Amino acid sequence: MAVIAESARLAVKPVSRFRFILDRRDVLGSIFIAPAILYVLLLVGVPFLLAVYYSVSAYTLYDPTWRFVGLANFEQIIQNPVFLETLGNTFLFTFGSNLLGLIMGKFGALLLLRPFPGRKIVRALIILPWAVPIALATIAWEWMFDSLYSVINWTLIALGIVTRDDAPNWLGSPHLAMLCIIIINAWRFFPFAIVIFLAGITAVPQDVIDAATVDGAGFWRRNYQIILPMILPIVAIGLIFGIVFTFTDLSIVFLLTNGGPSGATSVLGFEGFQVGIASGDVAHGAAISLFMLPVLLIVVIGMLRFIRRREI
Amino acid sequence: MRSGGNKQKQSVSRRDFLKTSGVVAGAAGLAPALSAPFVSTAMADTKTLTILQWSHFVPAYDTWFDKFAKDWGEKNHIAVTVDHINEADIPARAAAEASARAGHDIFGWNGGASGAHLYRKFLIPVTNLVESTEKKFGKATIIGTQIGFNPDDKSWSAFPDFYINYPTMYRKSMWDEIGIKPDTWDDVRIGGAKLKKKGHPVGTSLGHSNDPNTTWRGFLWSYGGAVQDKAGKRVVLNSKETIEAVKSVTALYKEAMTSEVLSWDDSSNNRYLDSGISSLILNPISAYRTAQQINKKLADDIFVAKPPKGPAGRLMGAAAGFYGIWKFAKNKEGAIEFLKYYADHWPEAFKASEGYNNPCFANIVPKPMPILSNDPTSNPTDKLSVLQSSDEWSAAPGYPGPAAPAVDEVYNDFVICDMMSKAATGQMSAEDSVKWATQQCEAIFKKWAGKA
Repeated sequence: MAVIAESARLAVKPVSRFRFILDRRDVLGSIFIAPAILYVLLLVGVPFLLAVYYSVSAYTLYDPTWRFVGLANFEQIIQNPVFLETLGNTFLFTFGSNLLGLIMGKFGALLLLRPFPGRKIVRALIILPWAVPIALATIAWEWMFDSLYSVINWTLIALGIVTRDDAPNWLGSPHLAMLCIIIINAWRFFPFAIVIFLAGITAVPQDVIDAATVDGAGFWRRNYQIILPMILPIVAIGLIFGIVFTFTDLSIVFLLTNGGPSGATSVLGFEGFQVGIASGDVAHGAAISLFMLPVLLIVVIGMLRFIRRREI
Repeated sequence: MRSGGNKQKQSVSRRDFLKTSGVVAGAAGLAPALSAPFVSTAMADTKTLTILQWSHFVPAYDTWFDKFAKDWGEKNHIAVTVDHINEADIPARAAAEASARAGHDIFGWNGGASGAHLYRKFLIPVTNLVESTEKKFGKATIIGTQIGFNPDDKSWSAFPDFYINYPTMYRKSMWDEIGIKPDTWDDVRIGGAKLKKKGHPVGTSLGHSNDPNTTWRGFLWSYGGAVQDKAGKRVVLNSKETIEAVKSVTALYKEAMTSEVLSWDDSSNNRYLDSGISSLILNPISAYRTAQQINKKLADDIFVAKPPKGPAGRLMGAAAGFYGIWKFAKNKEGAIEFLKYYADHWPEAFKASEGYNNPCFANIVPKPMPILSNDPTSNPTDKLSVLQSSDEWSAAPGYPGPAAPAVDEVYNDFVICDMMSKAATGQMSAEDSVKWATQQCEAIFKKWAGKA
């Protein structure tokens, strides 16, 4: 009885226009997506535009002026040979660590595809390097590369491979220090690469692989002439993420080497922070940081075009 | 038993969800506005003072300071909040507060090169406060003046708080054995070479951190070199004194140190000495204090001396700390009153820091200084007494000029460290590395010349 009465009450109540607007999928969709767009605009878009303006201004913490100076800041930083070294270091760090991460990811994925006892646990554990906060991970690596207490050197000495005098000076030699930051970033990136490869490989239709096997394709031919070309678009997407994150990263260098020895591991993100924040020259710091933008744009556009052409 | 119709009625429709979440979000958003009049009335009765500073290497100091500030607040009916952050985070935090024009009332800088000059336009002048402190406790030291005083208009942008000195810490038994006292840089090189052969090298970082930035500047000054002139207008690095200093560092590195120092951070030389390997380091007394905690016998053998003398004299870098009051501070009067009170009780701060914080005013801690003149934990008890006169041989980066923004960037870019390490490792000749460093410094100074 009460239900009937309620229905009657609703039937006479005038229906608001707002109710119909919410029933429209396009309106409701826009409402749901609005917070995300707002978030990106406020926390990415506005700071980005601010950074662009800083880079063409004379803004410093000493003199917070918005005076427009055109491309003078960019001209000055290009003329500095140390900046060009830093740019080179950034490329080496980015592409070296991503290449190493991809190789490790590919082999990791192949191993994790095979059934073995405890595979699920291993799959879960392998994600750890990606999930562990980078500050903690870098401190652990710092101890492994420490000049006095390096566990790696300790092992090498204990095995009689090197003496204490010949032990590698991991963070003290320019080439080894670069290798160290590449290894750490690859270690951080490879679980992501494994996930990408696993997703790609499992998406390859089994009948394609079976047909290739029947035609006599061995392990290497199946992997590198059939599976890899088919999963290249998805790998390229993963690589774009890896490159963008690495190119803009300063945490490993900041925590491990401070750009040393003799500037051998200084990268754009670190240099931008030192100049813009630590030294207060916000304009030059922004210009250094924005140097990454055209480079990343070219890389991303190139890779997206490649993906579109390879799509099957 | 529920009917199917009831079930349907209880499920949440899209419209219901939006309506409910909208009401909740609206209520949450409006809550502060609705309650603001009542809250602000309550807050109006209590003034606040907020302070931000580093987490001290001596944790007891933070405990003392927090209580000191709170007690002062209670006496003056002001709610004082003290926030501590890592030393490394201070520049970024200061930049954030200045850019947002919001934050703490009193900001405590420390470490690095920066004087208050970089933030001058964001800070209220504290000239009266410093001058009244000078009247009571004597003139500000060289470091105090470098970090807070503006030579152009004779004003003070910051209240100089303390500096951390970098004395020599050496293993007495080892140096006695070779019959050398490490009093000059030549002594350190010659004695260090002998001790390196015995497995006890000298340990001073040639990497990228505060310690080498400080130590090698001191080395440079003691050879008569400097980055800038007294007025802070001109780069004077490219000199025969600097080249001689770089050659001496190269010799010191090759003869008395190992390549490990190229990778060191600020804690590495402490560990090197405390592990019993190193025969000598230059460092704040934290390395000695740690040794006291972990190995008393080793600590008894570590002696503290003035930094080595060079051809031009005895001078060493130091890391300074100072307080600034933001222009956007909500309680500027309270901030000045607190700093006045703090200055009047500075000897307590000195004791709480266990002699780590050294005074920036001539007589603010009368000699003989507590702890340093007679430290009951040390054997002998006057082991730290040389530190009482450390103001005579300590200077902040920028010496003989002020710690200006350009000096700061030279410091943050590790130009002097790299000048030394490039020559020491043979990447460049001494002349070329000085030329390279001079170009770097000149570019930085030129950039800042139009701005600062």
